[in-house]
This record gives sequence, structure tokens and C-alpha cells, in this order.
Amino acid sequence: METLRRIVGDRHVLTRSSELLVYENDALPGYHKRPSLVVLPGTADEVVAVVRALYAAGLQWVARGAGTGLSGGALADDVVLLGLHRLKKIISVDPIARLAVVEPGVVNANLTKAATPFGLHYAPDPSSQTACTIGGNVAENAGGPHCLKYGVTLNHVQAATVVLPDGEIVKLAVPADHEAALDLMGAFVGSEGCFGVALDVTVRLTPNPEGIRTMLADFSSMDDAARATSAIIAAGILPAALELMDQATIAAVEASVYAAGYPTDCAAVLLVEVDGPECGLDDDAAAIAALCRECGARDVRTARDATDRARLWQGRKKAFGAMGRVASHLAVQDAVVPRTRLAPILARIAEIGTRHGVHVCNVFHAGDGNLHPNVPYNADDPDENARVHSAMKEIMELCIAEGGTISGEHGVGFDKLPYMEKLFPGDSLDAMCRLRDAFDPLRRANPGKVVPSHACREWISAPGFGS
Amino acid sequence: MDLGAGVRVMSTVLTPSTTDELASIVRESVAAHRSLAVRGVGSWSLALARASAAATPLSMAKMSGIVEYVPGDLTLTARAGTTLVEIEAATRANGQWCPLLPWGTDDGTLGATFATATTGPFRAALGAPRDIAIGVEFVDGTGAIARGGGRVVKNVAGFDLTRLMVGSWGTLGVITEISMRLRALPAVDSTLVVQCDVEDPAVLARIDAFRRGPYVPLACECIGAAHAMTLGLGEARLLVRVGGNAAFVAESVRRLGELGTVEAHAPELWAHYRERDPYRRHFTDAYATPLAARVKRKFDPHGILNPNVLGEVTS
Amino acid sequence: MSASASEAAKRLLPGSELCVHCGFCLQACPTYLALDDENDSPRGRIVLMKAIADGSISTTDTAALEHLDRCLGCRACETACPSGVPYGQLLEATRERLSPERPLPFVARAILWTFARHWALLVAMTGARVLRATGIAKVLSKLPGSSGFGMAMLHSTRRGVHNQPWTPRASGALGTVATLDGCVMEGLFSDVNRATERTLSENGYRLTHATGQRCCGALHAHTGDAATARDLARTNIAAFERSGAEFVAVNSAGCGSMLKEYGHLLHDDGAWHDRAVAFSAKVRDVSELLAVAGPVPGAAIGKRVTYDAPCHLMHGQRVVNPPLAVLGAIEGLNLVPLNDCEQCCGSAGIYNLIEPDVSDRVLAPKLANIAATNAQIVATGNPGCMMQIGAGLARTGSKTVARHPIELLDASYGRRARLGGSS
Repeated sequence: METLRRIVGDRHVLTRSSELLVYENDALPGYHKRPSLVVLPGTADEVVAVVRALYAAGLQWVARGAGTGLSGGALADDVVLLGLHRLKKIISVDPIARLAVVEPGVVNANLTKAATPFGLHYAPDPSSQTACTIGGNVAENAGGPHCLKYGVTLNHVQAATVVLPDGEIVKLAVPADHEAALDLMGAFVGSEGCFGVALDVTVRLTPNPEGIRTMLADFSSMDDAARATSAIIAAGILPAALELMDQATIAAVEASVYAAGYPTDCAAVLLVEVDGPECGLDDDAAAIAALCRECGARDVRTARDATDRARLWQGRKKAFGAMGRVASHLAVQDAVVPRTRLAPILARIAEIGTRHGVHVCNVFHAGDGNLHPNVPYNADDPDENARVHSAMKEIMELCIAEGGTISGEHGVGFDKLPYMEKLFPGDSLDAMCRLRDAFDPLRRANPGKVVPSHACREWISAPGFGS
Repeated sequence: MDLGAGVRVMSTVLTPSTTDELASIVRESVAAHRSLAVRGVGSWSLALARASAAATPLSMAKMSGIVEYVPGDLTLTARAGTTLVEIEAATRANGQWCPLLPWGTDDGTLGATFATATTGPFRAALGAPRDIAIGVEFVDGTGAIARGGGRVVKNVAGFDLTRLMVGSWGTLGVITEISMRLRALPAVDSTLVVQCDVEDPAVLARIDAFRRGPYVPLACECIGAAHAMTLGLGEARLLVRVGGNAAFVAESVRRLGELGTVEAHAPELWAHYRERDPYRRHFTDAYATPLAARVKRKFDPHGILNPNVLGEVTS
Repeated sequence: MSASASEAAKRLLPGSELCVHCGFCLQACPTYLALDDENDSPRGRIVLMKAIADGSISTTDTAALEHLDRCLGCRACETACPSGVPYGQLLEATRERLSPERPLPFVARAILWTFARHWALLVAMTGARVLRATGIAKVLSKLPGSSGFGMAMLHSTRRGVHNQPWTPRASGALGTVATLDGCVMEGLFSDVNRATERTLSENGYRLTHATGQRCCGALHAHTGDAATARDLARTNIAAFERSGAEFVAVNSAGCGSMLKEYGHLLHDDGAWHDRAVAFSAKVRDVSELLAVAGPVPGAAIGKRVTYDAPCHLMHGQRVVNPPLAVLGAIEGLNLVPLNDCEQCCGSAGIYNLIEPDVSDRVLAPKLANIAATNAQIVATGNPGCMMQIGAGLARTGSKTVARHPIELLDASYGRRARLGGSS
């Protein structure tokens, strides 16, 4: 601890129990894991020194950005919590190459703000973009509404300097087209803080579209909205975003400071955006509106101006936070299903919710088939708690059985660990463990996450396992 | 079989037809201290030449066929030995296309395209293999069968074995099956030849401005005089493909018109164009760093998969 | 925290159960941005406050108290919160819970004591005006540290050139208004109060005065002395009821925010609760009343001006556009946007006197943003902000001055009157 204080300064090592309490959870209420101490380095050199000190001391640690994750990924009991949010320098913005180099603690929306003068933005836009950090985005391979057209974090990260858990510094980069080389950069993105800490990240910036049309289509049944989604995707139009919100979500949003003027009497709305050069944009928008109407939309309206558009989006992006109006705890899922199967799967989810007596609120990236069945509940009621968890388990098993996956953008963390064995056979989990072991042979970084430890054969057979 | 520059006499070519069979071959090879040179249809002669001469060729040609294709999902899963021609035919019938369109011919296999991460002239618009792959199944150097990713377009469940396999040149595992995104064919798809001086820096700057958008083309290639001859274009030209709805394409054509006279061309031109110079790659000694060496040891501990193609473990 | 503990927090700290820990408040919080520790963020402080409420952290836990004390109370987090966590109320409830067990710093106690007593306030403000008029404040403002800063604040309230009085056209058609004098406003910014009266008259309001009105009690409520705050509230409600005014106009954002929350402050005071709610419903920031009226356009002032939103106007009262409408009524004003104008300046009542280090860290980016605008004037509708920013500008050698938007509108109206008739 003295070593850590020497590296980062007294004020940035937290050990008092009330201060540690604050770092017990991320944005998924319900998981509480108490770190042994919190260390908050302020520079890349300090991060390296801290990681090396922890390695030398034989300590495990977990990295944390802004603590906005939704899988319990940045938590662990009795490990050192390594907060990276102080590294918030935007090192460079290159408008010609359309690249930016940032420190891991840079807030997603701040990068876009810095790119704005050049007519550029950082495309992956998780709903928490006003708070979450690029480092956290890289760790989770974060998505967001506009990833439907523009791709997820993976598709925007070009290179990174990484300190491995043993203190070695490596430069990772996406191989150039003419190069025959391993894509360890790709393997690093989405490794949930288990492979090391990025000290800087080079990301692609995307030109702001010349024109944008944002449409709000409202439906009197969830089934119609789901069918409209499948129809738009099947028609081959690639919207910038295609989001679905159900009545329960709309009610929570409309009661908040982010009220967007969504109709509260409908069963679901689709928020659809097309963007790109002006010529042809109205034709795409009209084609989408027509498909929505064919599938039973009561009304399709287009945002009047930038303010109206921003309002429609604010409502969507803050929907998760607004769930506190319904209940104090929230179970959040992140399954992805084939887009042709949306309507029947949503019907089954509704049925599962009814059967377990829980209140499922749907707000999700419909265009990707990335569901977010959210269940606000009171964790203090043991009966409700149990019902929510059985319903969630059933929903996850349904999505896996339908050919889907358990997480599209939030990561596995603690929350989805139990489903990994349902999704992947043992050999696959073992292969994932081996990839992790190449980066972190001693399992110092973010222990116990992503792949259940008992699925890692080599690890189990190692002397001392389980002691 | 013609192996180009690296001609060697081959006694046997191993040709498994199932994943299990392949896994057995790998396990037997480990036991027999035999190394394997993985290939699709054998186009990558340069890579095969790099592989150690003692390696036994392992052909994936028999492991072919589309496993699942739901057009409405715009995703497709196929076995590694499936040729691009087959994928193209199946998808085109549904108004879709496979966004790979790599340098080389479409006789090549899906597995080789992903394993070598081969891009093509449409990469900027449609993505590289790493962006297109959504899931992978492979047999590693111990004969274990593993899967990463899945068949849906967004997936962060587990560590990313898909990105690890794409571009690893069969040195970490033999890809047996790939799931990928597809694209809808654009409503209007125009191949255009623009008469302009592609060697004049001022013109090049304007071409670059066009390429950067907002009317981003599917491809925009400057063709030098010699190459233009082989493509039957006569002189140096700008070769452009624009895809989108009618209004988008019309505006793109108008803007290209500012660079020079625009002529429409048959899209087959791209197939010829892609054949150009497909096998030129800079091979790195990927396993020279401790991290990559550890990865190699974890997935191919006996060093039997495509030995030497990406260099050997040296640290 | 166990499940039952969170149930207790809901009972003991109503409103805290709305927080789902999403973190959307983090980047809105000036102390989080300045100090980089989640303990100094709204989300973190809610965790601490809940834990204090349910007893899992002791009321004497120095670490927790340090982080809670550092909260500016700017309530920017409320504007960012999708779930509507009433953060300001949680903080006041917590400070009230803590106050019996811990004395405030001497400076804070002295100020609160003075503001609660009419005669003491008169003496103090007279003394302050003497320091200001004699130039002693200016001399002492060069001192390092918080005493020098305090003197710089006082000196910044000096007006070299006073707005010339002019006679408004008073139709009174829009209703009767009684203005809140405000301790600091009447004591140090009486020019602004007169300007407020003139501009309201010019825009169609009939003015009346609520005699017997006192300090609004905001400083007391913020520091946990709810008992005094409630006494002052009852006095004010009665005084304004007697005045018969339809609206209560306030030109100090902090006071306005407090007056609008009398309903909550007196929520368990049976006899007074309804009167408090009815009173709060009449309270308007002066800019709200003017915006409703138009406002009447004024003559040209060719200055480069930027606007900084006082937290208690923007976040406390959610009054965003009316001050811009006020400035917009001035012809020829070159209004330039201020980056991060919604961020706190670090004044926060008497915070800058009791937490000077953090206050300085919060003020620094504000001054940098102001400098980047090249504005001659920063308009902001709260005395604390005018003094904090004014002092900060002066101490960094800037020529830019802080003014109340109403002062600028009044000058514009005065100029028009002198030019003769309407423009």
C-alpha cells in the first residue's frame, strides 16, 4: 500500500471502509463486491507502475472505467480496484486520417465533442455515452443504437498500447491489409479487463452524415413493431439505428426530465434513423415509413429539426436510468436473437413474464436483434427476487435455444457467467481460457469473470487450484 | 495440383470430410510428430511455400457446403471449404451478396479468405473479414474442436476466438466453419469508368475528396495504363462502383462527371480487376513477440499447424 | 449493502431508492470532475447518504463527512438524472441529520447567525459597503488565500458606473408583483434590485412591497440548520401573503430556488404546509416574468456578452431559456455561447469560504471557458455567482466583469429612454 501511495499520491489510494463502499457496484444494482482498496493512477506511467507493483506483490486486481457497466464486470471481492477514469486526456485528433488517440478514461461523448469541430464523431454510442469511458468500451466491446450501421467498438479500434498483467507493455494493432499477422488487437477488444489495461487507444472517427431523418413509428401491438423490424432488415435498407421501446419503458421515460413526447397509449414505438448524403435519403425514409405502415403502424412521424431529433434520442438513451421510477432494482439482459425471430421471441418473453408475475420492460436495439428485457423489481422482497431470477433464466435459455447469444454489448462479467456453459461446449470455454492465459497466465486481472473457472482445464489441473 | 513457386512432390493429401475426422487427423499428427500444411484450393502458393517442406498437405476442399442461410437475418453459416462462387450464387438468388469479394478468384474458399484475412477493393465500404465474421468453429493444434461467437450479428459472449482465428493463417487452428454477415444488393449497382488523368496530383486530390464522401462509393480505384490494357480499358482510368438507391447513384454519377467523362461498364469488370496481383502479402514473424508466442503455444503447443507460415516461436 | 438495508434507506431517506446507479450524473458533477473520486460524485454520495441513514456508516465517519461536505449542492445531477432522484433534498435531509452532532466552521456559523437576524445583517452589510467604498476591499483583495478572495468578491460588487434611473411605462396589466429583497442583493447589489423593479414595471407588472420579509433561509437549509430555515420560511410566507401580490419576483437564483421549495421544507408542518405550497406556486425568477411579457425590446448595447447559468436557476429551478430571452431583448448585444455554462462556478452559497481549495478547482475551468469567449461581460443571475466569477476574474487580471442580466436590460431600457421614446 505504501508503494501504491508513493506511485499515485496519498489522495488517490482509498482504504477507508466508507470510501470503498462507493466502489462496491457498477450500474447493475444488485451486485455488491467490496474491493480491498481503490487505487486511482493519473498517468499511463502510474498505471504501469501500479500494475507492476501489484504483480510483484502477487495481488489480483480489477480495472474500472466509469462504473457504468451492466454485467457486474468491474467488481470483485477483496481485490484491488484499479480506477482509470483519471486518464482522461485526448492525446490527438487527426482529421485527415480520421483517427484519434485517447487515454482510457476519456468519456465517450467527450471524444465526439472533440471531433465535432472537424465534422467527425466517434460512432459507437452506448446509451451511457455521456458517462462511460473509451477504456471501458474497449473492454466490453460496447455497442449502442448506431452500431447497426456503423459497427461496434471492435470495428472502430485500430491500435492500443496495453500493459499486460505481468507489467509488460505491448503495442497491439489491427494488421494492415497487406500484412500477414495476428489480430491480437481484435482479441483484446471485449476481453472485459482480463487481458490487461489499455494505456492509450487509437480509434477511428466517422464523418458526420450530411443528412439525418429520424422517425418515430407507433404500433398498437408489440408483434407489429417486431414484424416491422424484421421487414426493414429483410428489405435490405440499412438504417443508422432501429430501436424498439415498449409501453412500460415509454411510461418511465415520459415521466422523467427526458420526456420525449412518445405516445403513451401505444404498445410499442420504433425509433428509426437513416443518415447519409442528402440525395436518396428521403427515398429510404419513405420506404421505411411504408414498411412500418404495412406492418400496422398507427402513425409514423419524422423529427422536425435537430432539437426534436435530440429529444427523441434523449428519451431512448436515458430509458435505462429512468427505470428507477418503476422500482429500486433492475435486472438487465442483453441477449441477441436472429432478427427474423423477433416477433415470436418477444411474445414468448411476455408470456414468461406473465407466468412469473414480473414486469418486463423492453427497450432495445431491434435492428441488431439485441434485446434488453429489463425487469424493475424490489430486491428486498425475497419472493419477487426469486421470481425475477427464474424469469430471467428462462428468457436466456429461450434466446440460446433460438440460436441467439447471451450478450450483445454488455459483456458476461458476473451476471451472465452461469449461461456461458449453456452457450458454449467445454472445449470452446477451455479455448477461451487458453487465450486468456496467453495474456495473463497467473490470472491476476479481473479474476472469476467471463469464463467459469471450472471450465478451464489447464488451470484446474495446475497445482494449487482451489486452495 | 499446381503449387506455383513452391512446387514439391506430395505423397498424400489429407482430405477430411467432417470436423471430427479433421480432429482425429490432428490428434494422430500430434502423436506421429507430423506437421500439417492447411489449404483450401491451394491458391496461396506463397504461403504453402513458406510452410515447412516436411508438412503434409491438408485440404479442406471436401468440407464444404452452406450450413444455414436465413435471408431475412442477412447471415450465413458455411463450412470452410465452401467456395466463394457457391456463396455468391446462393445469396444472389435472394437479392443479397457476400461482402468479402477478396483479391483473387471466387474459386477460393471461405475458410482461406477468413484465415488469410484477405481484403479486396470493397473493403473500405463493406468491411474486412474481421468485420464480416460473426462466428467460427475450428480445430486447434491438439485436435480440440472449439467455437467462438455465434450466428447473430452482435455478440460479446466470451473471449473473441473469432478475431483470433481470422488472419491467423491456420497457425492456431484449422477453421472448419464460419458464420458471417451478408449485405443486401444495392437497388442500383453501377460500375463506372471515368476518363481522367489518374497520375495528376490535382486530379488525385479530387478523387480522394470524392472517395471520402459524403457520396462514399463501394470502390474507387485508380488504374494505371498498363493495368488498364489488361482490363480492356485502353488508357489509365478511374474505376468506380457506386451502389444505393436511384437518387444516390444519380448524384454520385453527377459528381464523378466533374472529374471526366463517365462511362457505364458491366460489373464483371470487377472480377477481372480482383484477379490482379492477389498473392502479394508481407509476412511478419508474428510469433517473435512473447505474447504471440504464448498464444501459439496455447493453441498449437506441438507446432504442427502451418509451421513457419507466420514465422516460428523464437522467444 | 444488504437488501434490508436498502429498504431501510428508502424509509429513512425517501427518494434515495429512485437511484439505479446508472452513473449518468457523474459528468454533470463539478466536484467529481475536479477531484476524480466517485466518493465526490452524486452517485457515490447517495451511497454514503443511504449508508448514514441506515446506520451502516456512522454519523461521525470522517471520510464520508469529508465527501459530503465537499458537495456544492449545485444540483446539476438532478438535471442529468433520468429517474428524478431529488438529490438536493437528500443532501439537506442528511445535513440536517448530521448537524446536531458536528459544529460548522466558525465562518459558516457567523454568516448563518448574521443572516438570520435583521439588525445584524444591516450592520454587516453596512460594514461591507464601507470596506467597498473606501477601497479597503480592493487593497485587501490582493491578499493570498480565502480572505483575499473574500475581499475580491466584495470588491467585485462595486459598480464604477451606476445605471442611471429612468421612468418606466407602468401599465400594471400583467399583475401585481412583490420582489424579494434578498440579503446580499439588497446589501451589496441594491442597483440590481432597483433595475429589477424598473424592468418589471416597464414590462407591465405592478409592484408592491412585502414588508417584514427576511432572509430566504437557503444557506441555513443547505448547511443542515433546517429549524432556522423553517422559521424564516414561515415569516416570509406571512409577509408575502400580506402584500397581496400575485407573483413573488426573485433576482437571486439561490433564493428563488429556496422559495420554490418551501412546500417541501414545511412538508410535515401541518398548519403551514398548504400555505407554503400556495406561496411557492407564486414564486418566479425575474427572468421568467420578463420572458412571459416579451420582454419589451431595449436600445442597442454593443457589448460582447456571454451567459453563465446559475446552478440554482438551471438545475434547481429548471429555468433555462428566460435569461437568454432577457438578453435577447437588448438590441445589438453580441451574445457568445459559453462552453460548459451549465457547470457550477464553485460559489455555492458560502462553500467558497469553507471549502476554498475545491472551490478554486471548480472555478478554474469556468474562468478558462470565459476567457475563451473574449466576452467583456459575463451575465449571471445570482449574487454568489457574480461575486465568485467576478473575484476570480479580477484575481486573474481579467478585464471581463460579471453582471446580472437585469442590469444589462435596465441599461438598455435607460439608454432607450434617454434617446427618447421606443426604439
